[in-house]
Amino acid sequence: MIEVSNLTKYLGKKSVISDFSFCAQRHECVGLLGEHGAGKTTLLNLISGMARPTSGHVSIQGLSTQTHSTLARQAVGYQLQGGITHHTLSVKSILNFVATARGFRGAEKRRHVDRVATRLELQPVLNCPIDVLSLDLKRRVAIAQAILHSPGVLLLDEPTEGLNTEQQLKFRALVQSLAEEMSIIIASRHYDALSEICTRALVIAGGRLVADSSLADLQRCSRHFQAVTLAADPPVDLLALAVLPGVAGIEEDRQNPGKVTVLAMPGHAIFPAINSLITHRGWNITSLHLEPGRLNDVVHHLSHEVSS
Amino acid sequence: MKLLPLIFKRQLASYASTPHTYLSVAFFLVLCATLGLYTHRWMERDSSDLQAFFELHPWLYLLLIPSLSMQLWSDERNIGFCDMMKTLPLTSAERVIGKFLAAWVVCSIALLLNFPIVAAAHFLGTPDNGVIASQFLASWLLAGSYLSVGCFICALTHQRIIIFLLTLGLLLTISGLSSVLDALEHQAPIWIVDSIMKLDPISRFSSMDNGKITLHDGLYFVSMIVAFLSATIVTLNYKNS
Repeated sequence: MIEVSNLTKYLGKKSVISDFSFCAQRHECVGLLGEHGAGKTTLLNLISGMARPTSGHVSIQGLSTQTHSTLARQAVGYQLQGGITHHTLSVKSILNFVATARGFRGAEKRRHVDRVATRLELQPVLNCPIDVLSLDLKRRVAIAQAILHSPGVLLLDEPTEGLNTEQQLKFRALVQSLAEEMSIIIASRHYDALSEICTRALVIAGGRLVADSSLADLQRCSRHFQAVTLAADPPVDLLALAVLPGVAGIEEDRQNPGKVTVLAMPGHAIFPAINSLITHRGWNITSLHLEPGRLNDVVHHLSHEVSS
Repeated sequence: MKLLPLIFKRQLASYASTPHTYLSVAFFLVLCATLGLYTHRWMERDSSDLQAFFELHPWLYLLLIPSLSMQLWSDERNIGFCDMMKTLPLTSAERVIGKFLAAWVVCSIALLLNFPIVAAAHFLGTPDNGVIASQFLASWLLAGSYLSVGCFICALTHQRIIIFLLTLGLLLTISGLSSVLDALEHQAPIWIVDSIMKLDPISRFSSMDNGKITLHDGLYFVSMIVAFLSATIVTLNYKNS
């Protein structure tokens, strides 16, 4: 579906993307993780054909973005980071404009516009000027125009920024239903929101690909994988926790006294042991959860490994 | 070129939705009528054509064209929208030509709104309609070639005031060629004078303005439009890469 080989992009004399290669299959949902300024948006721009690479190739469904620019662009839907803004147009006219540009006419065009408007719950705001909408709605319009022509490849740039939990759940359901129809690449700095959506993660740092693995593997790299975070009202006896088998260390939260994170040694499950210790001692626990691994730490660590 | 009508309609709607367009067209019409009537004394000339009005057009376009071309890429002001356009399967040629045609249509409307003068001429005497038609045609072609210059400047920069000033400057230079000609008349070799004369749109315009349509002059304007539009397309393609 998407083949990127030895992609390099210079902006002026600065290299933004260097020697980036990967392949994504049909119906794959790939997360593109990286810190601020790592080159996520530039990479998406290159894949979408908006910008041309300095060297290297991008091919979408076998079409090169350089030689078959228009055909390749027709196979891609791209939600831009800032959403869409326009000082006069309404949501409906923007969707109609995009539908015409994608080659739909008459009844077929109305059907497609209606379909995406229902899918993204844009019906109530169809006649509003786009500039008065909130950031979330603008982003939904941007996603709507990207999926209007049912492209083979969908690129989303920071789609979860500023969403509340309920909106994130809706977004997750949407992406899961879209993933059955197209390949999706989601670039984001909110890694935890991606962990339940994406199956595969590409970590980009300084324009280079530093990790390409499944998200579960990436979480496993975290030293917080299998760690247990608990809070108790009278602070608990840390020594009792530390001597449990498989415990690698204990981190205290300075901001919240009484909240501690117990780290596990690789390959050890410490949750049952802690559980039985709590029942045994009769501690008054206010919160207790098993951590899936902190992606923030992993990506931060990987990025700094590259730059140093 | 399939999507040319889409861009054309969008640009025309964008012109229709800004008060700026109406203001510039109205300003152009008022200036044209008053200057023709009061400074060129059309009423006292007793001529059968409208030359008193049309010979002003090259100078009035210096105001109308930059202010119209300023809005050509006003969608660019909405960065989100402009970036979205780049993700659509549109070619630079479609975008440039569509926008240019829309601006030219606005110019033609401004030109056609001069009809009260034609009506007045018919009411007051028996004008030569053939000459008037050729004057309209000449003015329309001139507007097109000036617009293509404006289009080209727009591709170079996004700041509206710079677009206005650069277009004004470039058009002034072109219009000022005739004065350069006068100054060079006796000093420069004849081939320089000749070649500048060939490039001068004002002299071409005034010959058509007299009711003398030649293929030469028509082609001159068309080739100027084609040249500047191609330059714009090349510039845009270069910028995108």
